[in-house]
Amino acid sequence: MPLGSIDFAFCFLLATLGIFAPFVLMASQAKKIRVFAIALIVASNIIGCFVAALCFWRQSVVFVDVSRFTPFPFTLGIDRLSALFLLLICTVAVPVTIFSASYVDDHYGQRRQNWIWAFLSLFLVSMILVVTASTGFAFLIGWELMTLLSAGLVLLEGDSPEHRHNVFLYLLMMHAGAAAVIGSFLLFLPYSHTLDFASIRATSGVVPAGIRMLVFSLAFLGFGTKAGLIPLHIWLPRAHPIAPSPVSALMSGVMLKTAVYGFVRFVFDFLSGGPWWSGYVVLLVAAVTGLLGILYALAENDLKRLLAYSSVENVGIIFLGLGTSMIFLAHSAPVWAGLALAGALLHAFNHAMFKSLLFLGSGAISKATQTVDLEELGGLQSRMPVTGATMLVACCSIAGLPLFNGFVSEWVIFRSLLAGAVLIGTKAQVILPLMVGILALIGGLAAACFVKVFGVAFLGRPRSEAAEQAQEVPLAMRAGMSLLAAACIVIGVFPGLFLRPLVSLLQVFVPGAGVPPETLSIAHIIPITAAIVLGVTIAVAFVKRRERVVRTWACGQPGLTSRMQYTATVFSKPIRFVFSSVYRPNRKIDRLPSDQAYFPVSVTYRSVRTTSYEKAIYRPIAEIVLSAANQLRRMQTGNIQVYLLYIFLTLVLLLAFLRFQQ
Amino acid sequence: MKTAINIIQALLLILGAPLVRGIVARCKAFLQRRQGASIFRPYSDLAKLFRKEDLLPPTASIVFRFVPFLLFGTTICVAAFVPLVQPSALLASRGDFFLFVYLLAMGRFFLSLGGFDGGSAFGGMGASREALISSLAEAPFLLSFVALAILASHADIAGIVSWTQQQNIFNISAVHMLAFTSLAMVVIAETGRMPVDNPTTHLELTMIHEGMVLEYSGPRLALIEWASAVKLHSMLALLVALFFPWGMASSLSVGGIFLALPLYGAKVSVLMVLLAVIESGMAKLRMYLVPDFLGVASAVSALAVIFTMLDKR
Repeated sequence: MPLGSIDFAFCFLLATLGIFAPFVLMASQAKKIRVFAIALIVASNIIGCFVAALCFWRQSVVFVDVSRFTPFPFTLGIDRLSALFLLLICTVAVPVTIFSASYVDDHYGQRRQNWIWAFLSLFLVSMILVVTASTGFAFLIGWELMTLLSAGLVLLEGDSPEHRHNVFLYLLMMHAGAAAVIGSFLLFLPYSHTLDFASIRATSGVVPAGIRMLVFSLAFLGFGTKAGLIPLHIWLPRAHPIAPSPVSALMSGVMLKTAVYGFVRFVFDFLSGGPWWSGYVVLLVAAVTGLLGILYALAENDLKRLLAYSSVENVGIIFLGLGTSMIFLAHSAPVWAGLALAGALLHAFNHAMFKSLLFLGSGAISKATQTVDLEELGGLQSRMPVTGATMLVACCSIAGLPLFNGFVSEWVIFRSLLAGAVLIGTKAQVILPLMVGILALIGGLAAACFVKVFGVAFLGRPRSEAAEQAQEVPLAMRAGMSLLAAACIVIGVFPGLFLRPLVSLLQVFVPGAGVPPETLSIAHIIPITAAIVLGVTIAVAFVKRRERVVRTWACGQPGLTSRMQYTATVFSKPIRFVFSSVYRPNRKIDRLPSDQAYFPVSVTYRSVRTTSYEKAIYRPIAEIVLSAANQLRRMQTGNIQVYLLYIFLTLVLLLAFLRFQQ
Repeated sequence: MKTAINIIQALLLILGAPLVRGIVARCKAFLQRRQGASIFRPYSDLAKLFRKEDLLPPTASIVFRFVPFLLFGTTICVAAFVPLVQPSALLASRGDFFLFVYLLAMGRFFLSLGGFDGGSAFGGMGASREALISSLAEAPFLLSFVALAILASHADIAGIVSWTQQQNIFNISAVHMLAFTSLAMVVIAETGRMPVDNPTTHLELTMIHEGMVLEYSGPRLALIEWASAVKLHSMLALLVALFFPWGMASSLSVGGIFLALPLYGAKVSVLMVLLAVIESGMAKLRMYLVPDFLGVASAVSALAVIFTMLDKR
């Protein structure tokens, strides 16, 4: 195996993250050595970024083969798609590691710190394995490791019964999803003699339509579970918020994207498009996911749960782009398919940036105030200026405002939806343009949601003692967040930097994609827009004026308190009211004393969403499984003769099967 | 030459914006049998505000301080998208309507944050109501553009306008009528006019836009007021450009431009009078009827998109 310098760098990355750093971090208690190991993780991730960028640019395929030591072929390779996702992992890993250097030290005891660092490093490796695997075996190993290590990291945060229940649910859903993924790999086996990606790709033309349909369905289910498509999302708002904040950042920002990677690999690379109806199915599920995800997010007041639901929404947007691309492929319009795929992949990348930033920000808030409940926060902007500024950038990005990265990818998806009108004489001609309305509604609600996040948490008066006393977080945490914020702005103002390489990626995946002229128009206009907006803003900011601080207007009453501010709950009330059929809230108002309706001493208000996927879908499934298990228990007599009989019967059955098969 | 005219028409849009407000207010006064203020009153209001002291609430952070500037910046940028006397504008040929709509959303986003930073209930209340209205208005806004863009097979505003201009004025399609209806409803919601929001109210039960800007004063308030006037003018000009572009100077001639300018004035005056009539004739909708209002706009705009399929030109 010839080791080029890129191969060597990639092996170095794997070895450092996978073996060296965890080992050192576990073995040593000395602070200096730990700092060294953390610096090594950062450095190797930076190297990873370069490796990914080089592979992406030059399309040189890195290839690492360790099949000699493994029972099944185990090879890693980086093609353009892998390079894009490797870039995503490494770019997010750098700021998250820097942030953790301070965060982990503050939050955990010595022993637990070591475990968290070792797991974090291994978790990164497992994700890199997933996106660079070029055999089914390697992919599945990485996939499983990723699930287990993230579950381990969640458990390290705490192991109360509720925590364990959530982790159990997470593992359960992940393994159900993994089963579907394994199934879709195995379906290729009769046609391709190995599960090498290259041979799967080569034989996919031979696979009959029925099997292709099944492969698509299983892949959609499996990766949809990992990505958090509704109704397979139930684990996501439970598992993501209870992890340590940097881990939440990695799980929401990066781990969800491995599912997008897997889906793109299967559907676009292996199946080159899937059955004709598949695009519509993906589109429908994605629209529902996006809309419901953001509506659930709006109703949440726990910042991390809110962010987790907003990840569901963003996954919806990504799959909206993927579904659009599949529809265009099915109608053989490769240029537009390429554009939609570019939008989806760019949104995956952008979401990784701003969602990790938001989770890191929630970590910073919880460090400063010991809570992430929006109702306890407020006024943090003047107390934590850097955290506030970076969070503002993240909120603007996720709300899809121009000059920030979220806009660019949503714009590309919008344009590809609009282009659906060129498919004259098909259903897509109307369905795709109408989807613009859905995506606009999602975008509008997301903007409302993040006005709430930033407005309630960072502006106005502090709503609690802790928020009043909040102090800015240490340098390492600020640095990590600032790096991500800078990335959001750079992609947002100079989208051409990213869109052009992405379009070149697509020529590999979507034959005949070409360069859609649309990608270039935005690259031109956004810097001009930014110049105008900033120019005017700065110009008017310098208009001379006299300033004086006076009391906030309180209708002439003295003593405005923080309790008189609008709360997070009431902010979302109008929207919850309008969409009440989604929440079907169960409201409860308790007045004390109850006989004095007009002069209560205390009033408590509670509004709980009663629509529940657990009750509607998962409880019945769980009950069927349990009752089936109960029936099967009758076979378990504990009597050895009966078991011998089972073995004998199985043998007879198998022999009979063999006999009649021939 | 073309760029020069583009710059001039953007300036006209921005500097003429307070006049539009003044004329609408004067029309309303006439309809209500009041004497009313001069149509140039908004200019003197702005001048007065620019001279005044800027009072800041004690909770004001850097966000509160910068929001008016950013709002003004984005609104100016929005104005650079709208064709007035010729079917092009500074940003209208490269920038498409998605960017236009989202720049408006950006201004609103920051204004809502400014409302929160005052630290009183009013700002948050205004922001919350604005969040409801703007999140529901975005879909019909974009969909009615989508319908027009499909007909014109151009996504940039200049392309749509010059396509419409080449059509026969008497051959109006159903798509145009539906899109106009929905866009007009969106304009009313977006610019905070009756029956969605009352621009003259200062009653806490009814404030939306006024609630958000309650804590602003002096030059900052002047910028916000000016920005909202520019927004109103841009939206009216946009309606004119998209649906009644005939008479714009399609070739670059001095005569054409000088003909197009008074024609634009006449067209936008009709819309202003219409706005005044609607505002005087209607009561403000109850807060929770506004979603129905926007729901109708969404349905109409979706119909417009569906009708593009039938409209084979």
